[in-house]
Amino acid sequence: MSLGSQGERVYSAPREWVHVHPVSPLLGGWAAFAAVVGLWFYNGPAKPDPGQPRELHISLAFLAGSAVIAALVAIGFGYLSWWFHTFRITDEAVEQRKGMLFRQQRQARLDRLQAVDVVQPLLGRVFGFAKITVEVAGGSKSGIELHFLRLADAEALRNEILALAAGFRADVAASRDSGQERAGKGFNLRTEAEAFRLAPAPGSARTSIAAAEERPLVAVPVSRLLMSILLSWGTIAGIVTMFIVIVASIIVGLVVPEINVVGAIFGGGFIGILTGAAGVVSSTLATLNRGLNFRLGISRDGVRIAHGLLETTRQTVPPGRVQAVNFSQSLLWRRRDWWQVVINVAGYQDNQAAVSTLMPVGTTAEALTALWAVMPDLGDPDAPGTISRALAGQGDDGGFTPSPPSSRWVDPAQWRRRGVRATDTALLIRSGRLVRQLTVLPHERTQSISLKQGPLQRVLGLATVEVHSTKGVVKPVAHHLAVADAVELVNAQAARARERRSLATPEQWMVKVGIAEDAHEHE
Amino acid sequence: MAQTKSLPTNDASQGWHTSRMTWFAPEAVAWTAASRRLIPTRLISLGAVLVPALAAAVAGALLLTPFLWWVAGGIVLLTAWSAWITVRIVLAHGWAERDDDLLVKRGRMWRSVTVVPYGRMQYVEVTAGPLARAFGIATVQLHTASPGTDASLAGVPADDAARLRDRLTSRGEARLAGL
Repeated sequence: MSLGSQGERVYSAPREWVHVHPVSPLLGGWAAFAAVVGLWFYNGPAKPDPGQPRELHISLAFLAGSAVIAALVAIGFGYLSWWFHTFRITDEAVEQRKGMLFRQQRQARLDRLQAVDVVQPLLGRVFGFAKITVEVAGGSKSGIELHFLRLADAEALRNEILALAAGFRADVAASRDSGQERAGKGFNLRTEAEAFRLAPAPGSARTSIAAAEERPLVAVPVSRLLMSILLSWGTIAGIVTMFIVIVASIIVGLVVPEINVVGAIFGGGFIGILTGAAGVVSSTLATLNRGLNFRLGISRDGVRIAHGLLETTRQTVPPGRVQAVNFSQSLLWRRRDWWQVVINVAGYQDNQAAVSTLMPVGTTAEALTALWAVMPDLGDPDAPGTISRALAGQGDDGGFTPSPPSSRWVDPAQWRRRGVRATDTALLIRSGRLVRQLTVLPHERTQSISLKQGPLQRVLGLATVEVHSTKGVVKPVAHHLAVADAVELVNAQAARARERRSLATPEQWMVKVGIAEDAHEHE
Repeated sequence: MAQTKSLPTNDASQGWHTSRMTWFAPEAVAWTAASRRLIPTRLISLGAVLVPALAAAVAGALLLTPFLWWVAGGIVLLTAWSAWITVRIVLAHGWAERDDDLLVKRGRMWRSVTVVPYGRMQYVEVTAGPLARAFGIATVQLHTASPGTDASLAGVPADDAARLRDRLTSRGEARLAGL
């Protein structure tokens, strides 16, 4: 085995059952340590007893002991489950086995692959480790999470999974052959330990399949992100709350003679600031962490979305896996022409907000670029013009079918903005007055369609059409259309969805475009 | 762009009271109504809640205070009203198997029609509780990749349920598309 002498390693994804990186339980073990320390601070020093300083020593010793024991136990259990946690990849699937008492084997079929993410939590970033998440279409527990691998290995594994899923089997096989000679049996504890000792710098491993070349499309500057947060409803609500409390305390101070005005302002204002800030801070931090370092790019493997300050996430969503796209623009963003773009991707079941942002804030031009990245063919000769008109328009601008005037009785604010339009490949649903919204849904991603009508709508001759997308933040609904239009929409959309489904890209997207050399291998 | 103008533009002169179409009624569709045996099962479930409440109110009226007769009367009215609603809902429920999709209609006051393409079905589930089994009916539920799809067929005769499931499944396999 010559890997040591070369000082570099070629990682190839394991075809036999292997473990994740042996350091993984340690990356998790510190949490138990922190939990014990936290518990002690919560309970221990609560009863200070200055007369007996010995108590503190005992308490400290007890703390240190229990923290170490808890950490050891956690790490011990971590290693046990590490021992039982193995994975491998085949040409068809990523497979995972885990569980001590209740063994489970999970299989993520590559032909149902929806997205592959490389996530680095804070501790992982410090030491150069990452976890990999493979999302597939299916039930809530069909995805596979492998934590942790060295960052370079995780990226190599992602590249190989994406290449296999795209249908590049010849590529993978060729690079495996060359990689196999150099890396030997790929990945086991001993070679890994040796490699770690000899080439400890993270990121030094060569990958057997290069990452697909990425073309950057959109990057969000920090200044714009901060400004967009400042101009968000959460911030405004916080400031208004503070303002109301301050005004209220001034009034109380003036009306009630026993209370000093200045004291009331300081007292009340301080509480106001606290209440306002508490709400704002948490949502702001979440938005910040999601939006910082945000980069959107496109590659052969699909759309690449990278973001995060403390915990970084690099998502790869293969072509055609985006189920629905939603643009939104609050009143405060309108003058700056900013939009937020979110998407539905099947497979992401939990933690939707963290993975559903295609662009946290960007201009109309950038929003159009982002849409183009996930839906290159909008089925319209003038796609940018159509979308721009849809974003800003109302009534029947841009060929939309608007909600009829009778809908003003049930929807006085939004009825002028409500409207639907179909292009050859996608359905556009427009809504929102204060917060402008536009939902774009590819016809072939339509799951099912519902036509609904309540008693008030019946009197007014209206009906609502729901187009069901996969679970996610985007929920395409066309409210309050005229009944005839709604019925027509349901019929036409069912037909369009059927037609587009029959033309849809197969799961191995590269085979369809004819780029894969080994297309003949697939039946 | 034949597709882009397939939605008729709304004529401003056409007010809400003059619109021709009032509801989704595709031609040449044979609707299958939910089994009438669904009515007793629904009424029994309803009674299981309301009859004990009525008994308690009557007992209270006899033993404690005559005022509770009003409560008992209210419960009787509520029961009658709920039973009427239940019957209407069951009578409005039905489905139709078309060539490429399944239609499910439900509701009277709040009515809806759902179109589920066979190619979008992930799996089909047949369930029957003890009460439903006693009346020989079952519920057939279609699942797509969307949590929004509300396509459960209540009141399918038990003999038909398995056949319906197999029929739907085989049609789904024939037309299966990726997500």
